[in-house]
Amino acid sequence: MKGKGGAGTHEFGSAPTTIMEPPQVVLPDEQLFSRRALRLRELMVMVPAMDEFLDFMGRLVQAQQQMLSGREPAWRPAADAFEPALAHGMPPLGFQALRRDIDWQADLSGILDALELHVGQRQRELLDALRKSSAAELEAIADDVFEQRPGSEATRGLMPLVAAALQVAWVRLTQALPSAPQRPSAEAKLLCPCCGAPPVASVVHNEPYRSGVRYLHCALCATEWHLERVRCSACERGGKLLYLGLEEDGKPFLPVQAEACGECASYLKIVLRQLQGRADPVADDLASLPLDLMLAEEGRYARSGYNPLLILDA
Amino acid sequence: MSVRVSRRQFLKFGAAGLGASSMAMMGFAPDQALASVRHFKLSGAKVSRNICTYCSVGCGMLLYARGDGAINSHDHIFHVEGDPDHPVSRGSLCPRGAGVLDFIRSDSRVRYPQVREPGTDEWKRISWDDALERIVRMMKDDRDRNFETHDEEGHLVNRWMTTAMVAASACTNETAYLTQKITRALGILKLDNQARV
Repeated sequence: MKGKGGAGTHEFGSAPTTIMEPPQVVLPDEQLFSRRALRLRELMVMVPAMDEFLDFMGRLVQAQQQMLSGREPAWRPAADAFEPALAHGMPPLGFQALRRDIDWQADLSGILDALELHVGQRQRELLDALRKSSAAELEAIADDVFEQRPGSEATRGLMPLVAAALQVAWVRLTQALPSAPQRPSAEAKLLCPCCGAPPVASVVHNEPYRSGVRYLHCALCATEWHLERVRCSACERGGKLLYLGLEEDGKPFLPVQAEACGECASYLKIVLRQLQGRADPVADDLASLPLDLMLAEEGRYARSGYNPLLILDA
Repeated sequence: MSVRVSRRQFLKFGAAGLGASSMAMMGFAPDQALASVRHFKLSGAKVSRNICTYCSVGCGMLLYARGDGAINSHDHIFHVEGDPDHPVSRGSLCPRGAGVLDFIRSDSRVRYPQVREPGTDEWKRISWDDALERIVRMMKDDRDRNFETHDEEGHLVNRWMTTAMVAASACTNETAYLTQKITRALGILKLDNQARV
């Protein structure tokens, strides 16, 4: 028999040894895109109605991983570059401030090369269009992505690819931070404390040290920051929330619900890792598009989550 | 008033919007995704925060009720979990708290006032008005009969020693405040806040 001061494991299992103190802000790790690509391949099988789209997105995300782990950027921030911002509770990776220093266009051309052999005829046209675009034209598309604008008919199909390159560049920057930012201030806690972008969706985690704890997931840099359960991520009220999900034959379809607020008439998706441990906010948001469609048809709530891999006409 | 930082936009994802979305522009026809909606049903749940009523620890709970708030008139609680954001319990529930569903749905749960008259062994259902009327009458009679203004040595005491009040752990801070005010105003000295009933 083990002593009382053991690690909390015994012959029948394990017991929590300490009070749960989940981190407030969590930076993405270096395998983020690889896990997301794996999840997209799973979802491709689970959602046959969207398999071609999810297949392409899976390849795009895999290309993101190649850029993140394989490419050395032309510029890296100095080791102490972000310390003043972190010390004073400012978002260290604000995209307005940093974008001119970052060679995200090289990430883009790397992603296009990685996709080259894996795409259909229609998507090859997108790769060619992006290769032919001037640097200024690409910057203009990036502006639309940053500002959550719908772009023009000509550029909308290119925006997810540009956004993918920007995501790589910003996730790489988060890895240069000496520590995660502090908990965001009350006024700004609905935007990413790292880069200031809005969330894609929220995710409820299932590891013992943060079991049942909910985080918002950044659309740009994939940082996750804590938001209490049962609270609207747009207006912060909690009195009129409904959790709406899809059911197929009486069983929940995908571990995704819309957290819909009757006060501000908006919803953000919430991804439940207790239901499927590999669920990913970005991937599962794309795959649960039927939920968005049903909610749009129903008409009570508008979507507040921003997923730059699927841009809507405004 | 604080200024809210707002970079959030609201969109509707309708069929028309999807036809002009990046998905369609990238060469993925949205028809199948649109048609797939017919296979699904939208199910809704309401989640409320609450405090466990069992003991004085006061653990936070999330209670899940079925119904979309508008269509179904009866809320039916079907799931309970610890509230991970609650500062006291941080997501934990003891077996009694985790089993609160059986308490909520228990057949023997008391749902209305009942009285067992002296000398009988039978519980009789009475109305709330009757119950309150009865309690007030008995308290008043007892207080009128036994209220003491002075003790044996002639000190002014104004106390009522023949009735006691027992409060319990499910009380909120506000209930505890009111309990104190009411008992002390009546002259009741014997007040106990039983922590584990």
